[in-house]
Amino acid sequence: MRLSGLLSEETITLNLTRSDKKGVIEELLNLAMKTGKVSDRSAALKSVLDREELMSTGLEKGVAVPHAKTSTADGLTMALGVSKEGIDFNSADGKPSHLFFFLLAPESEAGRNVQVLAQIARLTNDSRFCDSLRQARSPEDALDIIRNAE
Amino acid sequence: MNTKEPIQKILLYIDGSEECIAAAQYAIVLAKKTGAALKGLYVVNVSLLKELTKAKIFVKIEEMDYEQDLAQDGKRYLNYISELARSKGVEIETELVKGVVNKEVVERVQEWGIDLLVMGELNPIQSRTDAYHDEAELIFRKSKCSVLVVKDQDRSEKLFNALEGNL
Repeated sequence: MRLSGLLSEETITLNLTRSDKKGVIEELLNLAMKTGKVSDRSAALKSVLDREELMSTGLEKGVAVPHAKTSTADGLTMALGVSKEGIDFNSADGKPSHLFFFLLAPESEAGRNVQVLAQIARLTNDSRFCDSLRQARSPEDALDIIRNAE
Repeated sequence: MNTKEPIQKILLYIDGSEECIAAAQYAIVLAKKTGAALKGLYVVNVSLLKELTKAKIFVKIEEMDYEQDLAQDGKRYLNYISELARSKGVEIETELVKGVVNKEVVERVQEWGIDLLVMGELNPIQSRTDAYHDEAELIFRKSKCSVLVVKDQDRSEKLFNALEGNL
């Protein structure tokens, strides 16, 4: 399952502007909305925030994977955000998060959803990949970095 | 082993893809024409779910929730292929198991004495990670019996539709 096939230049930002957890999730959701596949922004936001309530999706090594199942998504919907400074996302290692892989999935696509999350886990396990993505110069460059790693 | 009939037990691997439905149609046609016994198998990929929990992307309750979702998907697909088989008067046994997908399929082939494994067209290898993690690819390579990869979906459908429905 290729992440580069779910992302486009318009669903990637290399300069997240918000500095709080909820704000970053909203910013990523706004990018995901550009796909036209999310029918109800409020419901989608609630799904992601509810998931974060269970436990933060801020992992180690500066990576966060905010995600949720939601009936408001018409197919897998993804966005990518990069923060050069890093954002406090209640991560597992207590360090700021820099890379945000945002994923919404309809309940009917559990299988593909799991495949995409597994692909994110595998790619971000490589610190060279994460470093390259943090230093991407443009959304197009970020997409190339992902394509080359896949 | 009865060597008179080359195909006596067919295992149909169901993974929920569009391609596996074509494989089901082809397997039903084969079972009808050869008189082979037909089994359908779906494996809930719990190893992948555990991988996600280990990576802290999932919490335990989420892992369990997805496991249920995947099992429900599996049941739906198995029910669907059972209906397809019965509509053509072909008996089919189905089973849903949980585990490492390729390992479970390969083990069932051995355990059930399967002589032909039928599966849908393999996905193109689009990435290096696909090559290591594509379960269908791993099953194809590891299976100890002959494997039939059904490629022509239109032809499968035509053969299936042309099959008479009586027992």
